[in-house]
Amino acid sequence: MPQSAESRIRLARRGVRANALAYWLILPAVLAMLLVHYVPMLWGFYISAHDVNLFTMADWMHAPFVGLRNFVDGFSAATTTGARALRAMLNITVYTVVTVGIGYIIGLAVALLLNQQFVGRTFVRGLILLPYITPDSVAYNVWRFIFQSRIGILNRYLVQWGLVTEPPIWLVGPPAFWAVTIAAIWKGWPFTALILLAALQKIPHELYEAARVDGASMWQQFRMVTLPQLKNVSISLILMSGLWSFNSFNSFYIMLGRDPGVAAEVPSTLILREAFTNLKYGLGSALSIVLMLVLLIITIVYLHVTRGAAGAEEV
Amino acid sequence: MAAMNVAGAAAAETAITTAAAAENAPRVSRQRARAIQKVLMYIAVLLVVATVLAPYAWMVSGSFKETLELQASDVTIAEQAPSWIPRNPTLRNYRDVNRVVPMFRYFRHSIVISVGSMIVSTALALLAAYALSRFRFRGREAYTVSVLATQMLPGILFLIPYYLIFTMITRSTGLPLRDTYWGMIFTYTSFALPFSIVMLRSYLNGIPLEIDEQAMIDGCTRVGALWRVIVPLATPGIAAVAIYSFIMAWNEVLFASVLTGRVTRTVAVGILDFVTATGANWGGMMAACIVISIPVLVLFTAMQRYIVEGLIAGATKG
Repeated sequence: MPQSAESRIRLARRGVRANALAYWLILPAVLAMLLVHYVPMLWGFYISAHDVNLFTMADWMHAPFVGLRNFVDGFSAATTTGARALRAMLNITVYTVVTVGIGYIIGLAVALLLNQQFVGRTFVRGLILLPYITPDSVAYNVWRFIFQSRIGILNRYLVQWGLVTEPPIWLVGPPAFWAVTIAAIWKGWPFTALILLAALQKIPHELYEAARVDGASMWQQFRMVTLPQLKNVSISLILMSGLWSFNSFNSFYIMLGRDPGVAAEVPSTLILREAFTNLKYGLGSALSIVLMLVLLIITIVYLHVTRGAAGAEEV
Repeated sequence: MAAMNVAGAAAAETAITTAAAAENAPRVSRQRARAIQKVLMYIAVLLVVATVLAPYAWMVSGSFKETLELQASDVTIAEQAPSWIPRNPTLRNYRDVNRVVPMFRYFRHSIVISVGSMIVSTALALLAAYALSRFRFRGREAYTVSVLATQMLPGILFLIPYYLIFTMITRSTGLPLRDTYWGMIFTYTSFALPFSIVMLRSYLNGIPLEIDEQAMIDGCTRVGALWRVIVPLATPGIAAVAIYSFIMAWNEVLFASVLTGRVTRTVAVGILDFVTATGANWGGMMAACIVISIPVLVLFTAMQRYIVEGLIAGATKG
């Protein structure tokens, strides 16, 4: 379409003005996110390098500079906090691998199941969303009740079936970690199943037909068609739930309280306690920055590995 | 087996039908295999349903139990083993839900904070999503990435500096922020924004550009087009985002445990009062669990389709 120079200029000018409007439109959201996410994050770096504690917090911007001392204290096995922090990192890694891994397997199995035809399928599909939409404070309190040693329903069956002679005390010491893990798996798999089911339904039928024509068994169809088709969704799903899991706070805090004990300590509970119970804000900040860096490294490595694998496959 | 015997007998009877019967036999056994498969499938479905529902059954059962029954139950004594069916079902836990723990007050706080966050964050997300969906501007990609990145960062990372900034502002200006409604609304608004923006943007992308252009040719301004044409068309998406924000604020625990106090304590944290070091009222706790789940369940059911779609889009495109 031939355009006069004049109209083109007018259009361009309108474009500029339209762009200015775009900035006005995103401004409030940008401001809110800056003030709640990015500004505090930057101050977090400042706080982590200063001795902000009970005595200095009133005027924390003038707290004494201590360099990397908070980081050293936070992660040297010699200090109580350091030993706990290292244990917390180990715990959260195990927790993440187990909840995400088992959650993925269950989620995939249920997604495959719900992809079949059966009576009441719609109902069951809606039903499995329940754990996902139930508030954390409800779900984990119910599991806390289930795991009660004397009055919990779990121990009733363990005793009744003769699996234990003495009812175990689940929510104290090492078993507490596994109790929380089990509850978190129950809460987490429906989301995985939901996403995988949606992805399963997008796989073209022709792929299965072609595989059948080639004489592929059910198992071969699953390995050669279903799994590769789910690969991309699975990568983002595992990464996302891995990051969420690594940041877990609610499950441990609700089921075990402010101090879950060494065996069930995770970074979020430790940081919360160091900062708001022991009032060592500098130390808490240092720990939370290390947590963020670990997450960042995991994300980068994970994306690199999975992208690399995908690239190799295409070649 | 019987079916196959019948097929075998038929084959023996006449030589002419032998070929047909030979074809019949594997078909019958295939049917049998399919029947077994079907039974196994239903067993698996039942297992899934039972796993999902068992904790809820335990919650409902606990909420109708008398305190005495709960205190006396003991897994080591057969007659006093905790049971699924309450021995003397009672409504007392529901009636007394506000007696020791001020549950109604927590409920009011949660309503104010959740509705406030819902309104503010939906409005801000709509504006930002509209800009991302309709305009190309410098920094658009960077902005989108930064929106997505905030979702991945641990909340605890912001909490300490955020708290200290609150105390500093309060000290220097006398403006209270901690344990105030608007401090919490502002906080949760920002939490809900990233996901809301991403979700609304993909919804708005589904509405053709021509519709805005048509409205502007008809004399609407940009903002007029957004308000009079796009908002009505995007109502389901907007509702889904609004409900997401509400639920997020209703459920949040970490920031609520530090930033709320007597004036604004929310249900998600307040419910922990039922079971403390000094006393455990499990019946009351379970009744309260049911009560605070109701708003979430109602809202989610109303908007299930859109929220699920948004979640899937977020997970697969994000």
